[in-house]
Amino acid sequence: MSFCLDTYLQQSDNYEVHASKAGFKDCAMIIRFKADEIIYINPGDEVLGVRVIGIPPIPIGIDDKKGTVFIPYTKPCHGTSVVELPVDTEEMDNIRKLNTQ
Amino acid sequence: MKALLLLGCPETPSQTPLTIYACDKLTKLGYDVTIAANPAAKKLVMVSDPEKYYIDNLVDLERSLGEVKKGDYDLLIGFVHKDAAASFFVTFYHLLQTNSIAIVFERDMDLVEEYTDMVAESTDAKIVSVRAFHNPTPIKVQLDKVLKELE
Repeated sequence: MSFCLDTYLQQSDNYEVHASKAGFKDCAMIIRFKADEIIYINPGDEVLGVRVIGIPPIPIGIDDKKGTVFIPYTKPCHGTSVVELPVDTEEMDNIRKLNTQ
Repeated sequence: MKALLLLGCPETPSQTPLTIYACDKLTKLGYDVTIAANPAAKKLVMVSDPEKYYIDNLVDLERSLGEVKKGDYDLLIGFVHKDAAASFFVTFYHLLQTNSIAIVFERDMDLVEEYTDMVAESTDAKIVSVRAFHNPTPIKVQLDKVLKELE
């Protein structure tokens, strides 16, 4: 079964929130600051089972050593958060394939 | 013709009456209107039009985001009054790649400019911007102007 971010965040506590209730551009800056590797994607591109919401180019951070990704996560009433969560190498490679830059 | 009306967080009092108003106008222009909203915004619209005189299709915003594709709609209209609403509008714009209109409003003029810039920098959507919050009239005036161009 493929990974689904929404389900993961509801059913696991193995993730870290680096910013919450923030603006998208602030969250994009945090991802660029915190992650070693940045992949830029288009709005609506699917990452970890969800279409990513945001202003292009949308940064997705990858930390190869920790095996984690940083992703912006937007809700209508709660703004944008930056979530860092563990993913396997296959998911990382899928994200890299979406790179627009 | 099909139009998608995108609602943001329901905190702003003007959004629900403008939704009903826009549905009426768009229907008279010949559009089948679908409203995409989060659960709270959906409830406000449903309670405002219990007999469904004005609203027809009401869908969940996030489910809709996961399903829409290019060609599904001939027109996208979004109420943009929060940073997240700008992000949602831009994302739907990129997925649908259709004629799009952003109705930007906020009580703080700096935020009106910020959200307008966010949409303008990443879409070719038509944007109407106005300082408004409780009073729907300034937004209605802008909406009327932009819908007039669709006639």
